[in-house]
Amino acid sequence: MPMTDALLSSVEQLFSLATLVSMMIGVVAGVVAAAIPGFTITMAIVLTLPVTFTMPPLQGVATMLAVYVGGGSGGLISAALLGIPGTPSAVATTFDAYPMARKGEPGRALALGIWASFFGALISAVVLIVAAPPLAMIAVKLGPWEYFSLILFAVTVVASLVGKSILKGLMMSLLGLFIATVGQDPMMGVPRFTFGVDVLAAGIPFLVVLIGIFAVSQLASEVENPAELHQGKALVSGKIQFRPFAVMREVLSRPGNLLRSSMLGVVIGAVPGAGGSIANLIAYDQAKRASKTPERFGTGIADGVVASESGNSATAGGGLIPMIALGIPGSAVDAVLMAALMVQGVSVGPRLIMDNADLVYGMFLAMFLAAAMVLAFCLISMRWFLRITEIPKSIIVPVVLVCCAVGALALNNRVTDLYLLIGVGLVGYLLAKLDYPLAPLVLGVILGPIAETNLRRALMADEHWTLFLTRPISAGLLILAVLSVAFTVRRILRQRAAARASI
Amino acid sequence: MNDNPEMVSRPVREASSERGKALANLIFNAALAALFVGLFIQAGDLPSSVWEPLGAGSFPRLILGTLVIFNLAIMVQSMTALRVTDSVASVGAKQWFLQRRLAFATLAAFSVYALLMPWIGFAMASLLFLLAVQFILGARRGRRLLIAAIIAVVFGLGLHMLFSHVFLISLPPGRLW
Repeated sequence: MPMTDALLSSVEQLFSLATLVSMMIGVVAGVVAAAIPGFTITMAIVLTLPVTFTMPPLQGVATMLAVYVGGGSGGLISAALLGIPGTPSAVATTFDAYPMARKGEPGRALALGIWASFFGALISAVVLIVAAPPLAMIAVKLGPWEYFSLILFAVTVVASLVGKSILKGLMMSLLGLFIATVGQDPMMGVPRFTFGVDVLAAGIPFLVVLIGIFAVSQLASEVENPAELHQGKALVSGKIQFRPFAVMREVLSRPGNLLRSSMLGVVIGAVPGAGGSIANLIAYDQAKRASKTPERFGTGIADGVVASESGNSATAGGGLIPMIALGIPGSAVDAVLMAALMVQGVSVGPRLIMDNADLVYGMFLAMFLAAAMVLAFCLISMRWFLRITEIPKSIIVPVVLVCCAVGALALNNRVTDLYLLIGVGLVGYLLAKLDYPLAPLVLGVILGPIAETNLRRALMADEHWTLFLTRPISAGLLILAVLSVAFTVRRILRQRAAARASI
Repeated sequence: MNDNPEMVSRPVREASSERGKALANLIFNAALAALFVGLFIQAGDLPSSVWEPLGAGSFPRLILGTLVIFNLAIMVQSMTALRVTDSVASVGAKQWFLQRRLAFATLAAFSVYALLMPWIGFAMASLLFLLAVQFILGARRGRRLLIAAIIAVVFGLGLHMLFSHVFLISLPPGRLW
């Protein structure tokens, strides 16, 4: 399909009433979910997935992107007004937005964050549009050797970035890869590890694993401490005044900070496993280093808010780059988006842009549209939504658990999926308590079939496994994989030595 | 050191669970290693193919074999941790579960909910589940119990209406009626 046709077709699909309405609901849901401490953006997106099954592909993905972009801004509310990050992506936002709110400028803190998020998302969408198509053109030329090595690299990077122990991280990735082998073999169609159980014949349902890991086990952790259950947190009191246009000028008067933080967010978002939770801290740190007045950071200055919020929002577009161009999700959220496309029968990989150009352009446009909707929604109605953070966890947790049950039932309408969900939730909870990171497991599950297919294709084309080491791109990726593990081991050993020295 | 673990502050409690964690890691990885060895042997029976050198069983065997190596490495790490940590300061397994009783009670209620759902239907089961969990989490009497009841009715029936009528997801109607 020529580019202009694809673009027109995506505009037509995106600007239909049904899509606009579902995106708007998605934006509201994302903002609200991220504003509630203990309710993560990933949880919100995982729970949105089942309701998109009945929608056309672009409407479904656009709605999920709306939740994603909305969530990026929602974490700001509790960060600015309570000093508690609503999501891990808003940790650095608390450093300056909260002091600013306490100094009597809560409206300015919120508006700064909203505008910074908007521009961050906008810049990342531009980078996505520029970078994804050429990257996909290169990716199409990659052979199965390069693809397998790329996945190996992605898996080791994820395992070394999250959690405290690289052994546990790598073990979780491998466990994910193994879980993906249950069910039919991707090349021969032979059933594997099904033990005669019908439910396992089609494999362990990915959606159930996602909901169990990211929602059920997380919710169980939320209700551990009885003291935190009943009382919602009271917000900064007093009247909140927005001066949207004055603040917009304030944000735009810091182009260096805005651009640097957004670009950092894009790059960090594109690295598998790293996302908003890392980007906001690095963007903040870099803004502080570049500042002429670093000592004022942490006292409630605009630069801190702008850096953190534009950095975390820009990861949204960054994470989509490897997913659209390579078919490899950059984060758990992108894995969910990829699952949404796969459920719709769209095959995700480097040919996505060529085969489904209208869908990909639609996703680009949806990013812009969602960013604009979040901006409009937050500026118009934020003051009425501020009380959300006061809802106690004793109400949130059971209501969200019911939504989890709906999510598990949505795919096949089987009660056995519900039992599986509880099993996964319980195991996920115990794993988290034993310090096993769960994100590598989920990425392992989604990358498993791609890894296996490429490995087998490579050896089918040529039996010599040495090709993985002699083809330059493949070898380069394998060296990067080894380096990412080596650097992490070195970092951990140094930290341990430092800890011992300080005792 | 405080005798009553409920009174001990959270960081101390977390630190003192290190020994339990090491022990749990040891047992967990030993069990997983045994499971993976069994699956590794079973994967050997999967058919190979004349068209490709690997066949259906090789990739799972590669993963399972590597997993066992990781299990053994984590077991060695846990044994070292077990030797280093102080056994007196540690909380026992019973105490560990007691401290997290609300989380386990919520998961137990969720299990009962799943078991009841095919019989009494999604709407009714959700209503009871919402009420029960809010009760478990502290809405025992007076105004809070009333709010819990209202939330149970509104969300139990409301979510059923929303998902089954608006999003067209078919939910269990219940075998009993």
